[in-house]
Amino acid sequence: MVEVRSYVVSAPETEAALESLDAKIAASDVAPSLAYVFYGSGHDDSVIHAFLSRRFPGLPVIGGTSCAGVMNEERVWDAHSIGMLLIEDSDGDYGAAAAPLGPDAAATAAELLTRALDNAGCAGELPELIWIYQAPGREEQTIAGLRSIVGDRCPIIGGSSADDTVAGDWRQLGPDGPMTEGLVVAVLFSSGGIGFAFQGGYEPTGKSGVVSHIEGDGTGPRSGRKVVSIDDQPAAQVYNDWIGGMLDAKMAEGGNILADTTMFPLGIDNGEIDGVTQYLLVHPDAVTPGAGLSTFATLTEGTRVYGMCGNKQRLVERAGRVAASAASALDGGVDNLAGGLIVYCAGCKLAVGDLMAGVSGQVATSFEGQPFLGCFTFGEQGHTLSRNMHGNLMISAIAFGR
Amino acid sequence: MESKETLREALLAARTTIDTLRTENAHAKLLLDTLETLLVADFDHDPFAEIFTSLRSVFSFTGVKVLAADESAPDSLICVAADPSELIGMRWPVGTFFARVLNGRVTAALTNEKFEEWQALDSRLLSADQPVLYLPMAVRDRRGLLMLLRDVGDEGFDRSHVALARKFSVLASAAFAALHSRQREEESQRLRQLTTKLRESERALAYRANYDELTGLPNRTMIEERVTTAIRSLPPKGHLALAFIDLDNFKRVNDFYNHSVGDGLLVAVTERIKASIRSSDVLARLGGDEFVLLITPTEQVDHIKRAVERITEQLKLPFMIEGNELFTSASIGVSIFPDHGTDYDALRRNADVAMYRSKKRASGGIAYFDATADDTSATQMQQEQRLRAAVREQRFRCAFQPKIDIRKRALVGFEALIRWIDEKGLVRPPGHFIGMASDLGLLDDITGFVLREAVAALGQFDPVFGGRTRISINIAAKQASNQAFMESFIDGIAATGHAERLMLEITEEAMIQPDPFQSEILPALRQKGISVSIDDFGTGYSSFSVLADITADELKVDRSFISAIHQRSRSQSILKAVESLGSALGLPIVAEGVETADELNFLFRETGISMVQGYHIARPMFPKDLIDHWRAHHHRLDRDLSVLSAA
Repeated sequence: MVEVRSYVVSAPETEAALESLDAKIAASDVAPSLAYVFYGSGHDDSVIHAFLSRRFPGLPVIGGTSCAGVMNEERVWDAHSIGMLLIEDSDGDYGAAAAPLGPDAAATAAELLTRALDNAGCAGELPELIWIYQAPGREEQTIAGLRSIVGDRCPIIGGSSADDTVAGDWRQLGPDGPMTEGLVVAVLFSSGGIGFAFQGGYEPTGKSGVVSHIEGDGTGPRSGRKVVSIDDQPAAQVYNDWIGGMLDAKMAEGGNILADTTMFPLGIDNGEIDGVTQYLLVHPDAVTPGAGLSTFATLTEGTRVYGMCGNKQRLVERAGRVAASAASALDGGVDNLAGGLIVYCAGCKLAVGDLMAGVSGQVATSFEGQPFLGCFTFGEQGHTLSRNMHGNLMISAIAFGR
Repeated sequence: MESKETLREALLAARTTIDTLRTENAHAKLLLDTLETLLVADFDHDPFAEIFTSLRSVFSFTGVKVLAADESAPDSLICVAADPSELIGMRWPVGTFFARVLNGRVTAALTNEKFEEWQALDSRLLSADQPVLYLPMAVRDRRGLLMLLRDVGDEGFDRSHVALARKFSVLASAAFAALHSRQREEESQRLRQLTTKLRESERALAYRANYDELTGLPNRTMIEERVTTAIRSLPPKGHLALAFIDLDNFKRVNDFYNHSVGDGLLVAVTERIKASIRSSDVLARLGGDEFVLLITPTEQVDHIKRAVERITEQLKLPFMIEGNELFTSASIGVSIFPDHGTDYDALRRNADVAMYRSKKRASGGIAYFDATADDTSATQMQQEQRLRAAVREQRFRCAFQPKIDIRKRALVGFEALIRWIDEKGLVRPPGHFIGMASDLGLLDDITGFVLREAVAALGQFDPVFGGRTRISINIAAKQASNQAFMESFIDGIAATGHAERLMLEITEEAMIQPDPFQSEILPALRQKGISVSIDDFGTGYSSFSVLADITADELKVDRSFISAIHQRSRSQSILKAVESLGSALGLPIVAEGVETADELNFLFRETGISMVQGYHIARPMFPKDLIDHWRAHHHRLDRDLSVLSAA
């Protein structure tokens, strides 16, 4: 039987916050098999790690910084919050491993998967689900490394750690402690089953163009996150035209455009269902010198990118739908739900603003009041259309069955 | 109205549900077949062959082993059944991993190398690199496990296999136990009751996965299976037919009444068609207002014709739906096996093409697939679908061709010319698609796109050419006489804030229509400060008295008069007359289609025409290319015009 519990506290000082957290945990009789922990970037990771090591020696831990706090079934918490989701499952197996990404992120990911399986006592076995948390920047490579072992036979779900102010102050927390450019991999063999969903929203605006040049050396179609040109014109200029000149003020000087572009990401064709195109979202985050565009996901030369647009209210409602979709994927549906975990794009959170309470409310309704924890990330990883992938402005949800 | 985002998510959810239902249906069938096999087996009968057959249909494996506790060696298992059978009798040690499986763990292996049980293995028949699915299964009265194996290099088993294997393991173990337990009869009875319940669930699942909820007809997946089976069952030289039935104007019923009436009509249409067909024929609903009818068996084309005509006539009779008398009809396309296809996809596609041809001719008609005619129709249909997709996804760009004043040696404007960038990135000129776009009612969307591109281009052109150039946008005659479109378009132009920088090129033919163009549309254009150009002048049937009533800002002489003007005295005379007309009306003249230096020289020396456009000046180009070209080449043109001036 699986039990899931969420605990969230808020206090500016990490020690004070952990004291409150400890009191909450002590009030419930829990012997966790896995812990997720997310917190605002103002907190001291080392102190959090020390607390966990003391409170739950040897427990697999995965998490890190989440943009301006967390959410759970009670509400959205502020930037001083620390949230923990404890999974208790004596009939299941869980393991985690972590390391700096290093020069070869794919190889690191593959190695960490093997170690996490060893730590779970399940060496050589296909897990039910792989959960990852990492520094933003090389998500496609880490997924490639994990897929080199499991392919798309099990879902790879997770997020890219975020900070509160998009200043590069994101960290990841694994069993051995915090990292700044790291990857944490957890493997889950749940005895109650796991449902999941990974969805973006947004609709095409009708604008599209072909990525004609990605910054980099070498021959052959390049992939990367620095788009120099679209249709042989400066990428940022083309994009700015698509969105009606909203970035006019930033075109000359360049700089961060994350908040400006949350409602107008790019999309790439991610396959079709019954002839209707599904899109994977790519969030432009800065105008670079020469009117290039940098993005939070990798693009490849020759790929057609589509202008997309979103709507605040739909960003709120979508979270509930994704949570419901994950719960319905359980054997027995939401009636069998023990709890859940939500990864919600930090960019969407900033765009939604004061409607965020609606997001946690929608998820709580879909999960019928069962405990959940939500983190806010700068990239989301999930499984859709039978493939594992990385995207932006997505929502990823997992539902733990009893 | 739901947002497209919501509809897209609903489609994803619906597809997920259908896929899940079909998977669960297949799984339920496997479990029940296994259970029944074991329940009816005699004590000494070996049921494994049938069990392996059932398992193979779902798990898709190339080898299977059943290991049971070895009574002579407590810490090992012995293979008691296998395919290939050479594996029978092989012994395996029970290490940590096998112990977990025996205790209930179902596992898909990433690699078998990690399992100590494989490390001692010495067999040419097995490899640690093979994908394996392990599941516990009590065998007779002994603990055991089942290994499903695939070949090295094949895709490994995934989490859905693990989930199914868990259910299979429980049922199969219980069934084996029942086979040999002292309370066998009671256990068997209990399992039979369970089987009955599971069969009912399986039937319900199968129904949901294979039948349309509204009409009870087979759905698109089911009809494909039925057609495929029917084809296989045909005798040599046998025939069958597929009729694609599409209700005409069904959308109007939904829009005018409501969806409840629409649904009622679909149910009534279903009943009426079913009453017209034989029990061997199969009617299916593909979705929306589309049905497919499998007519089988049939030996004669006449029989097919009679059947389809009967349906057509029946559907023309009135329907009473929720107190409303409704009339409808159906366009039907028919393909016949084997002449028009030898599999479901080909037959359906060709029946669809034939239906499309039928619909284009007239509502309520029947068409039979004709390879010659329908090749064209199929190609055209594909083209139309591609164009619709292109409009939906705005896969267009505007090229711009400059207009210059050869006396002032200045660039004064551009004509916007739409290009369709197809899926392969090929650039298609308007001649390839404008006619089709007009027929399909897509032209207004495309014209809206051109307006947006023109305004965006001003931003690129102004730093290079100054802020006084104008961009011309072509308006088709059909659009010019559509008051609703023109009013909306004029408002759209005004909203850009650049009305004075934009000019509409409207053909002479469209401009001479008194209503509504002259009476309503032209005044509205003038009122908003939008310029008007009379395009392709000389090709219409205008009278001078009509021209006298039109206020325009320029007159473009059709290229047919400019081509080789220096050699054609009749064209020269006509051009002189047009010049006089322009002068009398105060209309600047633009000479279109200037392609050679001789033509340009003639216009400069022998006429008073100032404005020209054509390939000799520059061909149509995308904005950046045009700017680059102009910067590189305009000096040459400037020099040529200087020479002409000085001469």
